[in-house]
Amino acid sequence: MTQAVISVLGQDRPGIIATVSEALLASECNIEGVSQTLLRAVFGALFVVAMPDDLDAETLAGRLAAAVEGMELDVIVHAYPATSDVAPPPAEPFVVTTHGPDRRGAVAALSGVLARHGVNVTDLQAVFEGGERPESNVMIFQVDVPDTVALPDLKRELGATAERLGIELNIQHRRLFEIMNRV
Amino acid sequence: MLSKQEVISTLEMLRHEHLDLRTVTLGVSLVDCASDDVGRFIARASRRIETLAAGLVATCDRLGATYGVPVVNKRIAVSPVALVGAPFAPADMVAVAHALDRAAGNVGVDFVGGFSALVEKGMAAGDRALIDAIPEALATTSRVCASVNVATTRAGINMDAVLRMGETVKATAEHTADADGLGAAKLVVFANIPEDVPFMAGAYLGVGEGDAVINVGVSGPGVVKRAVERAIEAEPGIDLGRISEVIKQTAFKVTRAGELIGREVADALGVTFGVVDLSLAPTPTRGDSVGEIFRSLGLASIGAPGSTALLALLNDAVKKGGAFASSYVGGLSGAFIPVSEDLEIAAAAARGDLSIEKLEAMTSVCSVGLDMIALPGDTSAEALAALIADEMAIGVINRKTTAARLIPVPGKAAGEQARFGGLLGAATIMSLPHGCGSNAFVRFGGRVPAPIQSLVN
Repeated sequence: MTQAVISVLGQDRPGIIATVSEALLASECNIEGVSQTLLRAVFGALFVVAMPDDLDAETLAGRLAAAVEGMELDVIVHAYPATSDVAPPPAEPFVVTTHGPDRRGAVAALSGVLARHGVNVTDLQAVFEGGERPESNVMIFQVDVPDTVALPDLKRELGATAERLGIELNIQHRRLFEIMNRV
Repeated sequence: MLSKQEVISTLEMLRHEHLDLRTVTLGVSLVDCASDDVGRFIARASRRIETLAAGLVATCDRLGATYGVPVVNKRIAVSPVALVGAPFAPADMVAVAHALDRAAGNVGVDFVGGFSALVEKGMAAGDRALIDAIPEALATTSRVCASVNVATTRAGINMDAVLRMGETVKATAEHTADADGLGAAKLVVFANIPEDVPFMAGAYLGVGEGDAVINVGVSGPGVVKRAVERAIEAEPGIDLGRISEVIKQTAFKVTRAGELIGREVADALGVTFGVVDLSLAPTPTRGDSVGEIFRSLGLASIGAPGSTALLALLNDAVKKGGAFASSYVGGLSGAFIPVSEDLEIAAAAARGDLSIEKLEAMTSVCSVGLDMIALPGDTSAEALAALIADEMAIGVINRKTTAARLIPVPGKAAGEQARFGGLLGAATIMSLPHGCGSNAFVRFGGRVPAPIQSLVN
């Protein structure tokens, strides 16, 4: 068995998951993981699948393209990257949130600070409805902060960047949100 | 992964609704510091407090920053000084208060509680010395808080102690006449005092507790108020059962946040975690008021007809939500209605919408009692004692904690303003009918017998 990652992107409509998974079944592929999201009306999904030994990524891509014909979807099959033996550094999960007027470059500036500190973004949700109303423009970064990073330094640099952008920023350990919202 | 709603609703509480951890209180046992030499006791007690509490403030600040939840107050509660300083004379007790004040200052906390005595059934030498020392001790320190338990459901009401506390409250206010009787704002008289209260001025470390313990007091009247208002806006036809449910869910969240941080502080200090005190504790800040919840639920003001029923619902829902959130709940655990510490309650009292009689009725269904009430300076010690006795009776008969923190403001009359500053706030002095004269009832003395525990109506 070899593995592949399949990305599916396009206008949302009923039947996308059904069509793709039926095509995968017909090719004797086993779905090992799926992550699907909707952003406004755009559908996006990632499938990790195990392919039979006599199937290659190119052939599978052709079959999937045929299956979704007419659905206006982009389907790409990637050879699965070799798994790394290097474990990620020990880290603590934090949530970085921003509120404030819609500023061009805000995502780039903040993710740049995170990257410089070796902080990995594990989930990002951003809603920009535009305008100056702070509650209409919200970013939620879920991140892993390596234990080696000094939190006050990261906080200071994120805070300075947010101040330059004129937005409000908070960074808090994720456990708070879990413990307050889940039984 | 967290949902957007989970993140945004939590942030809303922190950014706009004053969600915080109201107090982290380190209980420190001084039992094994006891000595018949006051100098030796002071040296041991100061070293114990300063060693155990050395990292308290920095740890609370660090963990508060990690979670984005401010720990507003860091405090210390010690074993009852009347017990651990039993051999001392009143002047020695004042010296102990000074030492506690210094130690608290050295570790950066704003209040230290435990200048306390437990006299519900009788008074021993140490209790008498401590009570005699209270007026001077509270006038010459800024951080020390005193409490005296004069009644329990099992022992009844020690009326000799009640009268003595009427006199002590009066003397304490007069010793701090230049500050509107501020000393009396740091003195509470209790019935059924819990051993693990983290809130001042009633915090002390109970005799059944270990060497050291962290107890936390959560708050959140602003969070409850907004949750109720949102529910009423979003659900036309909402009834009180559903409103109670909304308050429970809110109390659950607030309690969870408090216990999380309290436990981490305890772990970091190498100390046992004790309890979460589920109280709605206001501050003199708009949007952080228990009184405002009464308006949100449709009353013209706290004190209007319906106030006692509303408070009963609120108090019960907070307890239910909090008790589901944490298995270690204790202290006072109820809504506070401290007049000067809550802008809306103080305003209602000033407008005449809230009388001392209505406050007394409300204390039968909530925590903690007649709290931070400014009275005319000419209120007699006997009238103060009688008011304390009334409040103790409510606690003793209902098997609950009640307390009285009364401030007879020297030189001022009903309707004038008393200002205590900071978290203690300001209040209009309330009138107390028959407050000036003698009161033969409290002079009978003796002990009101413990109440029957059946035939409960």
